[in-house]
Amino acid sequence: VEYISGKVFFTTCSDLNMLKKLKSAERLFLLIKKQFPLNVSSVSKGKIFNEMQRLVNDDPESWLSAISIWKNLLELDAKEDKLSQRDANPLKRKVEENDIINPKKLKTKQMQELQESRECQLEKQMEEATVEQGDFLTNREKSQEAFQNDVVKAVAAPNQKDLTFRVSCRCSGSMAKTFTAQEVGRVIGIALKKQFGWKADLRNPNLEIFIHLNDIYSVVGIPVFRVPLASRAYIKTAGLRSTIAWAMASLAEIKAGALVLDPMCGLGTILLEAAKEWPDVYYVGADVSDSQLLGACDNLKAAGLQDKIELLKVSVIELPLPSESVDIIISDIPFGKKFKLGKDIKNILQEMERVLHVGGTIVLLLSEDHHRRLQDCEPGGIPRNSKGSHTDEPGIEKCLNPGGKTDLSDTVSSSAETGGQGDLDKMPPFGSLVPVDHYRVSLGRTGAFICRYRKSPSSG
Amino acid sequence: MKLLTHNLLSSHVRGVGPRGFPLRLQATEVRINPVEFNPDFVARMIPKVEWAALLEAADTLHLVEVPKGPIEGYEHDEKFLRQMHHVLLEVRTGPSLASLATAG
Repeated sequence: VEYISGKVFFTTCSDLNMLKKLKSAERLFLLIKKQFPLNVSSVSKGKIFNEMQRLVNDDPESWLSAISIWKNLLELDAKEDKLSQRDANPLKRKVEENDIINPKKLKTKQMQELQESRECQLEKQMEEATVEQGDFLTNREKSQEAFQNDVVKAVAAPNQKDLTFRVSCRCSGSMAKTFTAQEVGRVIGIALKKQFGWKADLRNPNLEIFIHLNDIYSVVGIPVFRVPLASRAYIKTAGLRSTIAWAMASLAEIKAGALVLDPMCGLGTILLEAAKEWPDVYYVGADVSDSQLLGACDNLKAAGLQDKIELLKVSVIELPLPSESVDIIISDIPFGKKFKLGKDIKNILQEMERVLHVGGTIVLLLSEDHHRRLQDCEPGGIPRNSKGSHTDEPGIEKCLNPGGKTDLSDTVSSSAETGGQGDLDKMPPFGSLVPVDHYRVSLGRTGAFICRYRKSPSSG
Repeated sequence: MKLLTHNLLSSHVRGVGPRGFPLRLQATEVRINPVEFNPDFVARMIPKVEWAALLEAADTLHLVEVPKGPIEGYEHDEKFLRQMHHVLLEVRTGPSLASLATAG
């Protein structure tokens, strides 16, 4: 696994369903190419265009095999749908597949191996869902035998000529100063046409190619899913970004049987993400806004989580809960001018502290302003977060355990850099709330901090 | 709201200064909402329960088969846990979105 400022590169042998479960990644791409950044400094524009063309032309094999994998992924996905519909139509499957079947078990395993000697390491194994139908199994077995002897060829399959494509390009850093995304897109598009004979279709292409060029890398990939991972099937109306919400819940280390409170829950995004992942927990959400609570209620119903999450119309500065009754508090502190820094934040934190159990955890999303303010208030003072070291995304770490081996896909994640030096902070800022760590995250246009506190036994 | 929540809220009221507010339960407003039984979860909730408040609420709502208190070894007593599961999680009072006015 490798992570570079906003992107996590990893290899995996999990199937699409497992990949769909990645919670703290915004989007998932299949990597075609990753290499050193194009040098923009003193070279002429024309030369750089050549460099870009080389991205396409130098290594057509890697492109083709990536596309092959992508196709197979999609087919498998479509096939899983078919399986669940009990549609026994195995003859439609394409010749490229190499299937290994163990007829004794009920599970049908499909193994696909593409040998790739390129840098991109496109080796992928995929497993299919359990097949329960006995009849279906025999049908498939028969067709398997017919296909069993076919060898997978990653290189130029004839049906790749009729692919339509679109190039989406993103340039940042010094690249952005020299080129526009359109220019780059055009150059790459033309190169692709020349090299592979595909047709461009801007409106509804088969294949989308994403290119991201910046000062750190040049990356080319194919999006694995049509819809970004961050848009969840179970959330009707999202408030906070689902990836951040999940990451916060994850940091809170929710254990079964805990009482988790979000005292400013808004549309309930954090509670939804948490309840989906950690179901045996007692969730309570509170807000002062009727409209938000109604929205949250809607969300709960749409997700089928009304039994797990309780909603209350109460204010965070006057929580009708006994002291020390809550195990975990997770909240997105509203940004914006309405919330005067200082007094309000203090009241909020005090009340949170009161209802929290000793040893309990608070995870807050703070705007950069809030965070700076809090740091200044603290007597001990957290040393200013100067350098970002490598990103530390706890969410991604946990998700990548499914496959034993790992192969290559490409993930774009909400960037998070560790800045927290929890050990150095001995002085609690608010009574007994001790900062544990904090992480800088990107919310798209703005940045924020996820801060974690723990309540220590108070002296008084 | 679930009785578990009501219990939590009302136990806050007892003997704590200015933040009191009325949480009257109406017997007419009771609904039973089936919830999947999860013994581990229920067992973990038991220590959080304020029994006096719970018994009073149960009384007001004319609930039957409410345990009077945690029994020894309740974590493994399925009957007990199922009763508590029913009382705490399946009995619903009032509107689903609770609107609580803080008094004072």
